[in-house]
Amino acid sequence: MPFLHAGWRVLRAAVCLVVLVGMSGCGSSASEGDDGGGSSGGEGGTLTVLAASSLTDAFGELAKTFEEQNPGVEVRQSFESSSTLLTQIQQGAPADVFASASEEEMDTAVEEDLAEGEPQVFVKNREVVMVPKDNPAGIEGFRDVAKPGVKLVLAEEGVPAADYALEILGKADEEYGAGFKKDVLSNVVSREADVRASVNRVVVGDADATFGYASDYTPDIRDRVEVVPIPPDLNIVATYPVAALKDAKEPDLARKWVDLVTGEEGQRVLKKWGFEPAV
Amino acid sequence: MMGRGKDGRLLGRTGPGDALASGMAVAALALLAGFISLPFISLLLWTVSENSWRAMASPVAIDALLLSIKTTSVSMAIILTVGTPAAYVLARADFPGKKIVETLVDIPAVLPPSAAGIALLLTFGRFGLVGQHLEVFGVTVTFTTAAVVIAEVFVAGHFYVRQAAVGFSGVRRDVEEAALVDGASRFSAFTKVTVPLAFPALVAGAMMAWARALGEFGATIVFAGSFRGVTQTVPLAIFAEFQGNIDAAVALSVLVLGFAFVVILAVRYLTAKTTNHEN
Repeated sequence: MPFLHAGWRVLRAAVCLVVLVGMSGCGSSASEGDDGGGSSGGEGGTLTVLAASSLTDAFGELAKTFEEQNPGVEVRQSFESSSTLLTQIQQGAPADVFASASEEEMDTAVEEDLAEGEPQVFVKNREVVMVPKDNPAGIEGFRDVAKPGVKLVLAEEGVPAADYALEILGKADEEYGAGFKKDVLSNVVSREADVRASVNRVVVGDADATFGYASDYTPDIRDRVEVVPIPPDLNIVATYPVAALKDAKEPDLARKWVDLVTGEEGQRVLKKWGFEPAV
Repeated sequence: MMGRGKDGRLLGRTGPGDALASGMAVAALALLAGFISLPFISLLLWTVSENSWRAMASPVAIDALLLSIKTTSVSMAIILTVGTPAAYVLARADFPGKKIVETLVDIPAVLPPSAAGIALLLTFGRFGLVGQHLEVFGVTVTFTTAAVVIAEVFVAGHFYVRQAAVGFSGVRRDVEEAALVDGASRFSAFTKVTVPLAFPALVAGAMMAWARALGEFGATIVFAGSFRGVTQTVPLAIFAEFQGNIDAAVALSVLVLGFAFVVILAVRYLTAKTTNHEN
């Protein structure tokens, strides 16, 4: 990646600053406040978790569990596409844990010596096609996504969910004959910032279909969205690695978070939100 | 002239403390100028040092620029056609509920554009208040270039209507009436007398509205989505390119910044001309 040089980092850092100030600024002041509030030693503090947007609900629940298990600790989370989060970490985002929806982003973090210790794969996920409940484009099976006129929404290039979708379409090309992938891609009407944004296009009903994770089919959208499975032989298995970060301000809490999501309780919650256990 | 005289007397009275005050005022201006010009200089420096001029001619940049020119032109045509008579009524007529109408015209200027995008989605989206009826005729607005125009008109219209109304109220009624006495019809008095007299204000308002439409991001990405050549205007392309090709993002930013500069200069020049007229 030729653009990953110093100058680029500086420029992009300026933009990321907005995000970082929002997170760390409040984060550190909150942790100081907590420390001053009486708890000492390992207690108190703020754990900052950067997680793929598909983890929004599961990690949201786990954050409550974590705060109960560690009184005085506040968990702050930022959910965006793994590619965006990786960039933020590269820019020195003051975060303690990174949970990625793809090994690619985590590998880069490890290569650039940003992760502490070996990342652990904690869940697996599969892709599905999601359509609005009334299914205006009449998508009954996976192949229907290629029908002309289907309004398909994908996440932005480089977002794992979209890259996986392209991988699936590549495989489908071999099975259904060349042109399938091209037909599907010619149906794309919008590219969204992350996978949750593209799923929301279907929830609102303006898109006919999107590629998302099985775990994105959350209870609160089930009355508005229908899942069209992707044939298992074409589907991919998305593996989610998690790691504490080298620059973590709260390395102990970071380790505890990794233990939580890889542990029994964490796996139970993740399974509840549609992920496949991987530990 | 009177103001200056008053100031002069005040200056004389306050004496030594005033030097400090005016020094601070100058410093504040320098700070403001520096603060605004630094990002501008950074963009140019980057463009020169990375030789990213070429990126201005990349297909993504050209598509985005053409789309921006196209959509802002249509938006301006709509804003001028509807906004000019509307502004004249606001300037001349007194009617019950005028204050409410004026406030309504102002709302898009204070509403965050992303909120405007959500509102437009709920109106013209497939299940929207208006959109569901359009759907019956097979007309879908979201994800089309028309949606971009709707977003631009919604967000930018205010800037023209407001300025035009001020311009029209600056035209003395007796001048208009003189034209009517001379046998001109109301319409030709409007086009031959009122509009030329208010012209500098109309042009200035149109330029502000155009600049605002050109910069439209929030409402467009929420309501129209982002797809190259269809809904991805320059600001959306900058956002999308920022995920990968920073050179293109910078090049597009330089283009837009240059344009903004020209618009501001033109507006300044025209405003000066209006003042001369009055004198």
